[in-house]
This record gives sequence, structure tokens and C-alpha cells, in this order.
Amino acid sequence: MRVPDGRTIVIRPVSGAWLRLDQHLAALGEYTDLLRTLSRHRLRVRYKQTALGFAWAVLQPLLMMVIFTAVFSVLARMPSDGHPYALFAYAALLPWTFFSTAVSNATGSLVTHTQLVTKVYFPREILPLTYVLAGLFDFAIGFVVLLGLMAWFDVPLTVHALNLIPIVFLLAAWILAVALVLSALQVRFRDVGVALPVLLQVWMFASPVIYPLSVVPQAWRGWYLLNPMAGIVASCRDVLLEGTPPAPVPLAMALIVTAAVLPAAYFFFKHAEATMADVI
Amino acid sequence: MIDVRFEDVSKRYRLRDGRSRRDFWAVREVSFDVGRGETLGVIGHNGAGKSTLLKLLSRITAPTAGTITLRGRLAALIEVGSGFHPELTGRENIFLSGSILGMRRREIVEKLDRIVEFSGVAPFIDVPVKWYSSGMYVRLGFAIAAHLEADILLVDEVLAVGDAAFQIRCIERIAELRRAGTTMLFISHDLTSVARLCDRVALMDHGRLIASGAPRDVIREYEHQVAASAARAVADATDIAAAPQARVRDVRFLDADGHELAGASTGEPVRAIVECDVTSELPDAVVEVFYYSRDGRTLHCQHSTAVSGPRLTLEPGRRRLEFFCSELGLQPGLYAIGASIRERRAAGAIDWWYGVKTLQVNPGKSVRGYFYAPHEWRWADAGSAAQHHPADV
Repeated sequence: MRVPDGRTIVIRPVSGAWLRLDQHLAALGEYTDLLRTLSRHRLRVRYKQTALGFAWAVLQPLLMMVIFTAVFSVLARMPSDGHPYALFAYAALLPWTFFSTAVSNATGSLVTHTQLVTKVYFPREILPLTYVLAGLFDFAIGFVVLLGLMAWFDVPLTVHALNLIPIVFLLAAWILAVALVLSALQVRFRDVGVALPVLLQVWMFASPVIYPLSVVPQAWRGWYLLNPMAGIVASCRDVLLEGTPPAPVPLAMALIVTAAVLPAAYFFFKHAEATMADVI
Repeated sequence: MIDVRFEDVSKRYRLRDGRSRRDFWAVREVSFDVGRGETLGVIGHNGAGKSTLLKLLSRITAPTAGTITLRGRLAALIEVGSGFHPELTGRENIFLSGSILGMRRREIVEKLDRIVEFSGVAPFIDVPVKWYSSGMYVRLGFAIAAHLEADILLVDEVLAVGDAAFQIRCIERIAELRRAGTTMLFISHDLTSVARLCDRVALMDHGRLIASGAPRDVIREYEHQVAASAARAVADATDIAAAPQARVRDVRFLDADGHELAGASTGEPVRAIVECDVTSELPDAVVEVFYYSRDGRTLHCQHSTAVSGPRLTLEPGRRRLEFFCSELGLQPGLYAIGASIRERRAAGAIDWWYGVKTLQVNPGKSVRGYFYAPHEWRWADAGSAAQHHPADV
């Protein structure tokens, strides 16, 4: 634990303390070095003792793309809004893989670091957060691969692709919200970790990853877009493949839902944090 | 100036046993202050609430009631080898573990050389720690923690790690920090170190703070408590003759030079002298020395001939028997001592002496598990001529 020189810290029972957002963020600010070191650490150890090393960051989404193309394009003839299916799938797999990998790693992050949680104090949200940051790095690598694929399929990159930057920020914020809730729940209920693969599977089918948003009936759209991943994935396709600005409604929905859920998720996490070490 | 203040602090755990729930108060209405530059020792039996106190202080868990106020930067000197990643090198782990403990990167870079030197693993610093021995692992972990810069330092039972030389270095480092004006909370079973390092000692018992004051007084109070509480339990189990032919007067512990021991050490030799007054001859007696836990369980018993071997005849007068143990098996802690005299073929004791004395066992050879047992090793395939090696630490 670190307290700036001369500052006084008062430790009280749980009631109410979890609402002090200013204190939480100040404490997090004190630990930016840990956040940086741990995030770098995630990347460094992930591919240790693997023969292909960092090539896996490129291979993973590529292999998924090949499989999806084989199954959903060659066999199932899924519509792809007129794009080559491989490219169509990859543009969605890029944000989706970021989401699913970061969420599943982050969910177990507190439990896999039991030794730390019960022995050392630091703001616990750092643990799930590091997996989100590490996921950003994979996203960047995957994006370079996408550029290669676009060149291969002769799809031009337009200035609207710059919209990807705020979209990725939104995606990271949404991933963090989900990760905070699930990791805190996992501490008390290990059921979460068990159910997670199924949940992610269902979630993928509830997002326009293998099919275009255009096939979702208008009558369902309102409910469908409550899932921020729907708006985010569709927006990625808009700015990258269509070369247009993102459609406003899906993106706005994703933004509103994330803006509402992230603070609530953070408070929930901080409330659980106070006694996490007792039940982990 | 007060650096640490506890005001009516309590911590309740909810224990779930199947469907039933039970409340357990690990810390109950504890209040105390630690002044700037002061070293407070916290002692008590296992489960008395010492470690919970530190967990509350280091914000690992929140109190159920009460308020804790801290002034300044706090660091915990605990063994955090568990924060290591096995695939990373020692050097990389210093950065990882250091930042987990709250050090800034710049600070770690500055102290890197000193940490490596302190740990004594310099030749292996660029090797993944999965190839380290457990001793190297612990030493590196401790070396990082020992170089934290803090106004308030929590020290929890770390001195039981590493070999004797490393333990001395740890004690020296703590003394150095203390001289530099660091406020300290020191939790240990090593009462000798507590007496030497602390300005004041607090005694915990079942979650409550029951005594606090000068180290010598509080440690004596603790010894009385352990002896008395063991005695209550032992009393129920003993039955002594009304007019015994012999009485145990005292049990004393001596070191190799024959001086009375302030504290024995795990794995080190210890001599127990039993003094008894015999009024009429006992032709075939057995003398025993008991080592009790505070709840009166016999953890260890030394005895004279009980089955076969030279007969022990106690003649009238003051008799002294020596029991020698080359390597004491007891874990660090405080033990109640008892001694008895009985006739070999009779049920029941002639005299049973207890409730007076305690033996303090300090960390010596480091032990994992419930007790230390001497052992050595050799190559199994090399035949009977192979040299035996003592197991270090």
C-alpha cells in the first residue's frame, strides 16, 4: 500500500466507503506503475515456452477467420453485405476476440491471484484491468493483419477508419465493465467461471459477428442493440469495410449502455473489494 | 505524534459450515496507538488475531466496526515470493514484485543492486525463478520487501525464513530501519527478538488486546497465561498421591555451556534439568518431562527408562536428572512445561509438577510442517558407502 507522504488514511467499515469515487481514482493513480508493469507482464508471459511466440497473436484471429469462412460462407452461405466473407468475418472477429479473450481472462484474474489478494493491498481493479490493456495490444497486432487482408482483397481504407479509435475506447470501456462485474462475482461464486464459455458463445450469436446487422429484423433491433457489442461490431464493419461513418443509432446505443453500466460496475466491484480477501 | 491509531476495531468473519452459519470475531474492540518511530510488538497464540490485525492495517480486508487512522506511507514486510512468476527471471520478478508491493519503477531501478546483493542470488539473477531453490525464492522475495521505503512498516513472522545467516541479515535490516525512525508493528513468535527490538508489546488473546506495556512485563504475563491455561487442562487429567515420597521442585533449561537458557531454538540442542526432592527410596522410578501446548495437550514427552534398560533408583535427598536432546523438534512458540515422577509398575503419578514454567522456542532451523525432525540425505544409487549430507536449514 502506498500513501503519499504526510497524508492521513482512515480505514472504516464497508458502509458507504465504496461510494467515494474520488478516493478510488486517486488510489488507482498511485498505482499506475503497477498497472503498467503488470500489463507488460501479461504480454511477456503469455507466449513464454511456446514455439511460435508472438506469432500466435496473428495466427489466432486468422485461424478463426479461416474456420468461420469455411463453415459460414462455403457451407452455410451466410450473407455478408457484399464483402468477401473472410474479410467480413475478420472485421468482426477483431473486436469480438478482444472482448471474449479479455473478459474470460479478467474474470478469473482475482481468483488466480489469491496469493496476492490475501497478502498485499493494491486497488484490486488493477488485476482485471491489466487483461483489458493486454488485449488492446493483441487488437493492434490483429489490426495490422486486417490492413494486409484489406490490401489483398483490394478494399480501400478511407479517412472514416479514424473513427475506429473512439470505437476501440468504447469497446475497452465495455469490456472493463463486464470484467469488473464478472471477476468480483467469480470471487464469491465460482459458477461464473464455469458458465462463462457458454455465456460467451451465446453472446457471440447475439452479436453481428458471423452475420450482418442488416439481417436482424427491424422489430427486434431496439432490444438487440441493448447489447453494446452489437453496435460496436457493426460500427467496426462500417468504418473499415464500408468506408463510411458508423451508423449513428447502434453506436449511440452502445455508448449509452456503456456509460450507464461502467460506473455501476465499478461501484459494485469496490463494494465487493472490501471483503474480497475474506471469501476468496 | 501518533502514526497508527486503532479505535474500537472489530472484525467478524462469517464461517459457513454446510448450511449453518457461525460468527467468529477475529478481532474484538481493539484500541491502541503507535507513536512515530516507535516499535510495537504484537504477541499471542496462533489464532489470537495478530494476523487479522495486520490485514486490517494494510487494507487487505475492511473492519466490521471501528476506525483505523494511519499517517504516512505504509508497507508490509511479508514474504511475497508468491507474487513471483516462475517463467520470469529474478530481475524481472524484482520489478513485478516490487511494484505489487507499492514501489515505483524509478525506486526499483535505484535499489536494484542493493536488493540483488541482499538476496544473495546475484549469480542467478537472470535465470527464470522456476529454477530457483525454495530458499533462493524466499530470500529474493524478502530482499525486495526489505527495501521498501515506508514511514510505517508491518513485519509479520518473516524471520522464520532462510538460513541462520539470512535471518541475522533480516534482523539487522529491521534494526537499521528502526534506527532510521520508521514506525513499526512487529508480529512474531520469536519472543527474544520481540524483547530486543520492541519498545512496547501488546498481547492478544481470542481477538482481544489483553495487555500492553514494557516488553519484559508483557512477555512474562504471556508466559504466566500459557502456563496457567495449560495447567487448568492438565489438572483434570492428573491424580497425585496425598503424601508423595518424591516431589519435582523445578525444571531448568541449559545451553551447551551450562547457562540457563532464555529461549531454545528449533533444531538446536537443549538440556532439561529436572530437580526433585526424594523423601523415601523409589527403587524403580520413571521421571518424565512434558511439553504442553497452551490448551494442555502433550506435544512431546521425554522420559527416563520406561520399558527396559537400566533401572532408575531415586535415593532420598535432592536428585537432579538431565535430559539431553540434540535437535529440538518443537516449532517456534511458547510451551508450558511439566514434569512427573512415577513408579514404573504403578498406575498414577507420585508427583506431577506443572503450571509454573514455560519454554520459549525461537526460530532456529526453518521448519515446514508441524515439527522439526533431524534428517540427512545421500545418493540412493551410490551404495552404502555414499556420504550422508545434513539437510540444510
